[in-house]
Amino acid sequence: MDLKPTIGIETHIELNTNTKMFCRCKVVDTDEPNISLCPTCIGLPGALPVPNGKAIEYITLLSLATGCTITRKGMFHRKNYFYPDLPKNYQISQFDLPVGESGKLEIILDGKKDSVEIERVHMEEDTGKSTHSGTGRIDSATSTALDFNRSGVPLVEIVTKPVIESAKEAVAYIEELRQLSIDLNISEGKLEKGNLRFDANISVAPDDSNELGTKVEIKNMNSLRSLERAIDYEISRQTKAYLDGEEIIQETRHWDEAKELTSSMRSKEGSADYRYFSDPDLPNMILSEIFIEDIKNKLPKLPSEIRNDLMETGLDLDQANILGKSDNWIRDLYFDVFDSTKEHSTTYNWITGELQGQMRKLDINFPPEWFSADLLSEILGLIKDNKISFTSGKTILSEVLQKNISIDEVATNNDLYQENNEEKIVELVKNVINDSEDVVQRIKEGEDKLVGFLVGQVIKNSGGSVNPGIAKELLSKELDL
Amino acid sequence: MELKNLSIRQLNNLFVEKKAKPSELYSDIFDTSASSESLLHAHLALFEEKNIEIAKNSDKRFENGESTGLLDGIPIAIKDNINIKGELTTCSSKMLSNYRSPYNATVIEKLDNENVLYTGKTNLDEFAMGSSTENSAFGLTKNPWNTDYVPGGSSGGSAASVSARSSIGALGSDTGGSIRQPAAFCGLVGFKPTYGTVSRYGLIAFASSLDQIGPITKNVDDARIIYNAISGHDALDATSIDNNQINIPFDKSAKIGVIKELMEDGISDESRNEVSKVLESLKNQGYQIKEVSLPLIKLSISIYYLIAPAECSANLARFDGVRYGLRVEGKTSYEMMQNTRAEGFGDEVKRRILLGTYALSAGYYDEYYGKALRARKKMIDEFSNIFNDVDYLISPTTPTAAFKAGEKTSNPLEMYMSDLCTIPANLAGLPAISIPTGLSKENLPLGVQLMSKPLTDLSLLNFSEVIEKEVDFDTFPKGLEK
Repeated sequence: MDLKPTIGIETHIELNTNTKMFCRCKVVDTDEPNISLCPTCIGLPGALPVPNGKAIEYITLLSLATGCTITRKGMFHRKNYFYPDLPKNYQISQFDLPVGESGKLEIILDGKKDSVEIERVHMEEDTGKSTHSGTGRIDSATSTALDFNRSGVPLVEIVTKPVIESAKEAVAYIEELRQLSIDLNISEGKLEKGNLRFDANISVAPDDSNELGTKVEIKNMNSLRSLERAIDYEISRQTKAYLDGEEIIQETRHWDEAKELTSSMRSKEGSADYRYFSDPDLPNMILSEIFIEDIKNKLPKLPSEIRNDLMETGLDLDQANILGKSDNWIRDLYFDVFDSTKEHSTTYNWITGELQGQMRKLDINFPPEWFSADLLSEILGLIKDNKISFTSGKTILSEVLQKNISIDEVATNNDLYQENNEEKIVELVKNVINDSEDVVQRIKEGEDKLVGFLVGQVIKNSGGSVNPGIAKELLSKELDL
Repeated sequence: MELKNLSIRQLNNLFVEKKAKPSELYSDIFDTSASSESLLHAHLALFEEKNIEIAKNSDKRFENGESTGLLDGIPIAIKDNINIKGELTTCSSKMLSNYRSPYNATVIEKLDNENVLYTGKTNLDEFAMGSSTENSAFGLTKNPWNTDYVPGGSSGGSAASVSARSSIGALGSDTGGSIRQPAAFCGLVGFKPTYGTVSRYGLIAFASSLDQIGPITKNVDDARIIYNAISGHDALDATSIDNNQINIPFDKSAKIGVIKELMEDGISDESRNEVSKVLESLKNQGYQIKEVSLPLIKLSISIYYLIAPAECSANLARFDGVRYGLRVEGKTSYEMMQNTRAEGFGDEVKRRILLGTYALSAGYYDEYYGKALRARKKMIDEFSNIFNDVDYLISPTTPTAAFKAGEKTSNPLEMYMSDLCTIPANLAGLPAISIPTGLSKENLPLGVQLMSKPLTDLSLLNFSEVIEKEVDFDTFPKGLEK
């Protein structure tokens, strides 16, 4: 019997607002604990929440960008549970009236466009951070250290429908979502910093079944690699259990990065009743038509649109996807250089290959400030016009990445310009023919390969300034080949 | 006449005319509290030391003609669920017996600007849950009119203090009648403003959608002066609204509705008679009076005891021993939190947390909390319709006069019934006031309640003054003279 896996993903995106969700404390990126706190974000008695307008703007942007329907009259709810790093012992979140509902996100899977349906996009506040001494678990720790810097930082939770079918698709979805949050400028999008955190709900069921199997939630996957491995592991674990006739329990499982397996955290049967109810401190959130219109006008180009633009220059989907998920400056550089060269392939190869390769060698993340699209366009132009060789182009690129120096200066200093004066080249060619009677004779007898030798002589005599192609062409002409 | 018996406006006139000084008033108040506190226990903390200095600063301002207004140098008592920076804010709970607030409530910031002098923090039912101030972890407060009786609650300490003249006015908070009921029991004016016109920032929440801070005073004008000082939009409170007052008539063209349901069963003859007395006098003055019916008012207590506990079950979750307040150690963090909450909260608080937790639980939400929300909405509609017909609604403030200490502590439901008349204004967010009008046969005060539509607070106060003038009630507690 064939089994099919079904996966749903919940992603928390930490927004890059200056201040927290319900107070005006700065959002800080530091290891020094408890430096950005106020009565509201540590839950002092009497303190009240006031929503951050910027965060509402950002979640509306994300909802619109994923084609969600916007809930005009949204509402904040209290999600009640006790945990030491949750200062109020309830989290302000959204329940039945999230900001966005029923959208979808285009993804690239196996070189083809695909899409993942989005169930909801809602707003909530982050908790503080607990460090449990010893075992790392709250029930057995001898002490727990609390840092509330993160408490109250705005989070967007975006939940997919159970429509993802493989670990690869899950990874493609997260890659796309990450790129979207960066392009919308609502998050730093850094996985290593926990800007995006994801949980996966996985079940398996017979291929021909209309019903989903028992859902298992996987937590603690903090990279795309662990997401992929955890899902693959869980699918095979459940498949084996199913085929062995074992019952799959609805539970939360923890991905163990070191052991590369999932282990049971808690069973859902005894799970918390969050007792959601609308937060009386936060009256109805009304998103006006004008507000939504205004946010629509602020929507930048989405990754899918950027991909289309890239494909219009001639790139294929994979190239467009790679470039689309590169840093902004790389994409901009591509468009600018393409504008002047009109050579999509050359431009793509030089940027993704030569330029980034040389930067890696130089150990720099950004090109120097004097570097510009014009410089690269100029290099590519010189190569195209046979004024310099491909190899010289690389040399020049390396120089201009290290020194604020003009291309002409590099080419002149290193004698990289090729001779393009035909009369001069003809003269060189004639001299070589005259000096190589034996060889010429053998060529005329059919030893074509020896033309290359003569080309080499011409280049050598020119001091390397003659384009090999031109030398060959003129040689052939002189020898009537 | 002693300064402590005067109104705020009279005192201010004397200060401005340099016929008296704020420090003399404070010394009067200081002496009073020295004797009244041991008898009544209105205050949990008195700020005596620093107040002498503060009063002298007011003296100087009046001497130099630089006074900051009507409240400059006026001693005001603050209910101990309102944060004053650096002072203990206990909510009369063991949970917060050592808690000092690092910030001021917005109302305190506003009163600071007026150079008010705080007499101290007053006793209350723990976390404002109760109607008698008997649910205080630090001992009960007594009624100045007769110390065998309760002062009402939960702002019982504030009311007892104003009544005993250990303060000129006081701030209370009102979630289901906690300002108006103790004001009525102590023969004072108690005013609960329109929800949202006074910031709740820094008021330790009981039920956020119902809580409102307001004044308890000896007369309506004092209440108006304090209300004007503490009201206004606050960016720190998302439920705060612009206080754009609507004027409705308070002269003889005003239409008065008597709430039928609050003149029936469950209301004592004495309480009913006070309303009839006032109606008689209004009729004689030429006011139009009619009986109106608000059938859903009968459900008020049921609605309230689902909504208020539900909100409080979440509001009080933060008291866990982790960051501040009481901590009772345990083997794990969870055990510590459990031990702390088991020991820190009193019975009434636990009762309401449990009730609210239950009402919000999966499977029960719709039947309890959800239904209460829908009923509340219907009741608000009922009020809106009535206010198309009449300008003011009149009823008794309480079903009876004050009861004896210990009389109702073993029967929570009976205790809850004492808020029958006051709860509807909280559920509908209306301004409501209790005015003292007479005495029971046991010589205990009785009050009459007036309500009007949202944002007509000032008109309501103006109309209340009409009644106040007519009944001419002497607010000085006879019990204290003994």
